[in-house]
Amino acid sequence: MINASKRAGNGAAVAGGKAYAFRLFVAGNESNSTQARGNLTQLCEEYLKGRYHIDIVDVLKDPAIALKHSVLLTPMLVMLKPRLGVSVLGNLGDTKKVIATLRLIGGER
Amino acid sequence: MATRTRRVKHKDPAGQQERRKAIKKVPTGIVGLDEVVCGGLPAGRMTLLSGGAGSGKSLMALQSLLHSAGAGEPGILVLFEERAAAVRQNARSLGWDLATLERKNLLFLMDARVNPELVISGDFSVKGLLAILDHQAKAMGARRIVLDAVDTLLHLYDSPSRERHELYALHEWLLNRGLTTIMTVKTVQKEESPSRYAFLDFMADCVIHIDQRVTGQITTRRLRVVKYRGSGYGRNEYPFIIGENGINVVPITSNVLQHRSPGPHVSSGQAQLDGMLGGGYRRGTSILLAGSPGAGKTTLACSFAQAACQRGERVLYLNFEESPESMVSNMLSPGIVLAPLIKSGRLVIQSYLPEAMGAEEHLFHALNTLNEVHPQHLVVDAISACKRMGSEQAAFEYLMRVMNACKERGITCFYLNQAIGPDIVAEISGIGISSIIDTVVILCQLSIGGSMKRQLAIMKSRGSKHSDRFHEYRITDRGIDLVKA
Repeated sequence: MINASKRAGNGAAVAGGKAYAFRLFVAGNESNSTQARGNLTQLCEEYLKGRYHIDIVDVLKDPAIALKHSVLLTPMLVMLKPRLGVSVLGNLGDTKKVIATLRLIGGER
Repeated sequence: MATRTRRVKHKDPAGQQERRKAIKKVPTGIVGLDEVVCGGLPAGRMTLLSGGAGSGKSLMALQSLLHSAGAGEPGILVLFEERAAAVRQNARSLGWDLATLERKNLLFLMDARVNPELVISGDFSVKGLLAILDHQAKAMGARRIVLDAVDTLLHLYDSPSRERHELYALHEWLLNRGLTTIMTVKTVQKEESPSRYAFLDFMADCVIHIDQRVTGQITTRRLRVVKYRGSGYGRNEYPFIIGENGINVVPITSNVLQHRSPGPHVSSGQAQLDGMLGGGYRRGTSILLAGSPGAGKTTLACSFAQAACQRGERVLYLNFEESPESMVSNMLSPGIVLAPLIKSGRLVIQSYLPEAMGAEEHLFHALNTLNEVHPQHLVVDAISACKRMGSEQAAFEYLMRVMNACKERGITCFYLNQAIGPDIVAEISGIGISSIIDTVVILCQLSIGGSMKRQLAIMKSRGSKHSDRFHEYRITDRGIDLVKA
């Protein structure tokens, strides 16, 4: 299994909020990657319930994709929707920073 | 007891041999550098190249990678700072065709620049990098890898212990894969942080520091091998230049004097002077012609060159004071016609402005020309101008190395030195090289009774009987003429 997809809620955009899609590059079950997975799910559940999609790529299993996207450092969160090109490096432990970067609170909510 | 001693004696040489088994090395292909590191960089291990901005470390790493790729050993270049396209373009200016090697799967450029807008939240690791490198190295069978500007990656970590940890992980991985690695890192100015990457020096098996400095308005680049586990290496600082086709480390002077013994006598181009010298200069020796301006040093050297060329020999004339054109025209006055000698290819005159480049670049040109022209004789006009290559020390090194190269090849070496002061004897030392000069001829001008008298004397002539008197001479339209006493 190369990509692990996780779809929460009914998957469709809930009225009044945009749909979010993320790709999270992890390195197997290494601790930062595990933490990032947990932190991201928690944030999404809290702020984007029912309108988010997380695509998990394990660089250890699929280095070609990591190379294609130049992902050298893990864990790396890349936003695919609604804005492309926003990325956050690290275990996402600093949630305030993640919320601000992804603009989970504010205009786009 | 006796048996035991014998056994120990017997065992020791074998043990030593075992220990002396040389580690495997990978040649860099860089002229001179392989000599300094006694054959190459450690195979399957990590070499660290550190230096300031523009010192040439990335180029050195790339050149060595290309050398291996050219020999059929695939390699990966990981660029943490530069764009791959820019590297390709810069390489093209040195005549290196990266694209072809990339097509042949002998080279892989990996753009590993970190997005400057990247937001960091929490800890992270280089696992992704290792996974990618692992994948790529296996796919192309890579044996060599260059991690260029690894400090850029390390800067993302705000804790020195994390930096260190990740680098150890990287190092461990490289060793496990048996990849011959060159890592380049920018050194920070001493004032800022003395030891931020000092641990890298401990980690790597071979450490080379590169620096670029300005002395007397002339920039020189130097490299020094700081350590090399399991191998000997040249312990000095070695100047290097970035030439038309990459880096050239100026070959080291061998610590053994491999000079040939003086050859047979060879005419000075002036019969009476030959008499004074006991038959002429000795082939393959070094001769210092010292004198005040206008004493006729160039004339004396040119009459020697003329005689040599007429015998069918080749002379290389390095002029730091005038252009070949002006030299040819000035020599017409004492009746020396150089133009046909140049045309025949027997006389090669090269003029350089001393301050145009550093002493090592001058040396590089001089040695290159020696190898191209294969002269029997060399004239350096004048060593007093060589000081303008940067410093007296630089000039001394330049002259020493030129002289060594000449002595090894059996080339007669003429050094002209301009002495200005009244005490010509004290001044002839010629940047401290006089002790290794075989023959010293001094030319002086004295004002006696309202007229200028020129006198010539032989101060020293190793391996020859020579006159011990001052001889009066005139510069006529047929060259130098010694006045019969």
